[in-house]
Amino acid sequence: MSGGATTPQRAPAKPFYFNTSAHLARITSFKAANLTEFLQALRECPEDSIFHHTFQTLEEHHFIPEGFSNDFAHWALAHRNEPTLAEQLASVDVREFTSVEELRSRIVQIVENFLKQDPASAAISAQQPFYFCTSDGVVLPTSFVAHNLQEFVEGVRRVSVHSIHHHFIEARLRIKLMSNDFSRWLQEDAGLTDVARALNRIDIYTATLEDIRGQMVRIIEPALT
Amino acid sequence: MEPAKRPKSESKSTEKDEAAAPTGTPATPERRRASRVWERPQATEPSPKLDDYRSVVGEAEIDELLCLARGVKGKTVKMVNSTSVGGGVAEMLNRLVPLINELEVVAHWDVISGDNDFFEITKAFHNALQGRPYELTGHSKEVFLRYNEQNRQRMQFHEDVIVIHDPQPAALIRARADTNASWVWRCHIDLSNPNREVWEFLRPFIEQYDAAIFSSVSFTRQLPIPQYLFYPCIDPLSDKNRELDDSVIQRVCDEYGVDRSRPIVTQVSRFDRWKDPVGVVQAFKLARKYVDCQLVLAGGGAIDDPEGAVVLKEVREAAGDDPDIIILDLPPRSALEINALQRASTIVVQKSIKEGFGLTVTEALWKGKPTIAGAVGGIPSQIIDKLTGVLVHSVEGCAYQIRYLLTHPEFALKLGKNGHEHVKENFLMTTDVKRWLLLLRILLQKRGARA
Repeated sequence: MSGGATTPQRAPAKPFYFNTSAHLARITSFKAANLTEFLQALRECPEDSIFHHTFQTLEEHHFIPEGFSNDFAHWALAHRNEPTLAEQLASVDVREFTSVEELRSRIVQIVENFLKQDPASAAISAQQPFYFCTSDGVVLPTSFVAHNLQEFVEGVRRVSVHSIHHHFIEARLRIKLMSNDFSRWLQEDAGLTDVARALNRIDIYTATLEDIRGQMVRIIEPALT
Repeated sequence: MEPAKRPKSESKSTEKDEAAAPTGTPATPERRRASRVWERPQATEPSPKLDDYRSVVGEAEIDELLCLARGVKGKTVKMVNSTSVGGGVAEMLNRLVPLINELEVVAHWDVISGDNDFFEITKAFHNALQGRPYELTGHSKEVFLRYNEQNRQRMQFHEDVIVIHDPQPAALIRARADTNASWVWRCHIDLSNPNREVWEFLRPFIEQYDAAIFSSVSFTRQLPIPQYLFYPCIDPLSDKNRELDDSVIQRVCDEYGVDRSRPIVTQVSRFDRWKDPVGVVQAFKLARKYVDCQLVLAGGGAIDDPEGAVVLKEVREAAGDDPDIIILDLPPRSALEINALQRASTIVVQKSIKEGFGLTVTEALWKGKPTIAGAVGGIPSQIIDKLTGVLVHSVEGCAYQIRYLLTHPEFALKLGKNGHEHVKENFLMTTDVKRWLLLLRILLQKRGARA
């Protein structure tokens, strides 16, 4: 790892390579001017679009610690003035899903249920349409590689928030587990099961990515001694 | 770059130079009129280096750009637009092209040439595409195509990626058959409600591109090619946005008679009805019944634009002889002064009723200012209501939010902090560079796959 480090207390089975990802938003042809169109588009839009408006938007708005969970909830409140629907959509926690299709089903179910209870709201026009986007992304290596816990903490301190998002939030879709890259390495390669679990319990919806970084460092540091 | 200065009759105002217009009849009191900025040498700003941005966006962000650029090292890209000076596009390219070159991607910038007849027609196209009535004639089409053809014959397109900015050079796509390049159309204007005739004339050209880029999701048209979202950006190191010593801010405030010991509410924009400066005066007067504050309306455009002069007159009439309303018709190249006024402000307002992207909002957010703005154009992309600023829809709403923010400084501070972070993440020059690098990678991958 760049910068060097002291001898680790434990010798992980393999190093942790810090990567990052970068995304370019692409505008799709799916657009919804009311809840009927919204529901239809949610059912038919590409998986990447669901990813973009849930996982990806957390990165784009990583600096807001409260009141922003996904683009669907934001639109329902800000442009369609449906606070109940907005709250229900906002309660969807991306960490509970290891596939985008499961996540899509949950969102569709929420909107369907809402429209069953309030069918009259289906055709009311939104102040602004919802434009469904997707992301074209690339994964990039960073200069940080951790061969031990000390280097791992240093990497967590110094990588960009995009790298934190990549390993901590996006990762669960990639590894198809209810976990993240950091916890997985801490548990499987560094043998720190409790630390791994504590990291995985960090609430991403009440903290900024910088806050999350700080919490991670505070959780891991005691294991250094 | 081939300099081909746009004829004077074609110089157009864009968001970037909204306030950069000649001065008109000065505001009262007299001390606010005496503008020494007329005599300030108009030095060209040096182009910043990539390393200069490390202190602004962080080491990791710049390192990621370097990493991203490695994948397209040595590749070539040509930017083509219609003017090398003046306007937001030229200003953006002036900053972007050197940064891309520094990343070892070879970026060229070429400017189309044309006479007044061409630029008069393309200006009309520009306005028509944004919804103004226009009767498209056979002559207009012929002139548009003739100049595009002349430029096609004059220019060479050896690069890997060709980026055509805005409608003026859009028909250069006819050169595509002679090249191996990927062609991209970068549209900086709002196409959501275009004049149908003009759009139908241009659309066959646009559909031949490999991709299009828009500044907001709401500015797009249905097209059979991929459409990417590139938000407009500001340069945090430019005179308009860089950090200023407090002494500079104080000097500018003294110069214009702005009292920094009292709350300052500011709108920076041309004297244009779409910016609703009269509405801002009305909102200020309503708010001031309850809170002490001053209003600064800093703009330009009243001398070379007859409508601007009319609007300025209306603003002055609305303001009356109120000593707390300071109306500044600033000369061109007042970037530093605008920066100082924005930084001196307690609240920034952009009460537009029609807007492009609204870069004055971006500038205010970057300076950490609690911002109240009309929910139009690209503004809702920047202001997430109650999180990064406040959106309003009326004079009364604007007045209430001025009162609320002036009496709830902690909330105002939070908005300002979030707004700054939102710009840092999404609307800075470094993010723009990242988007371009990503697009090059994506296009070149696609081209490789096709080959």
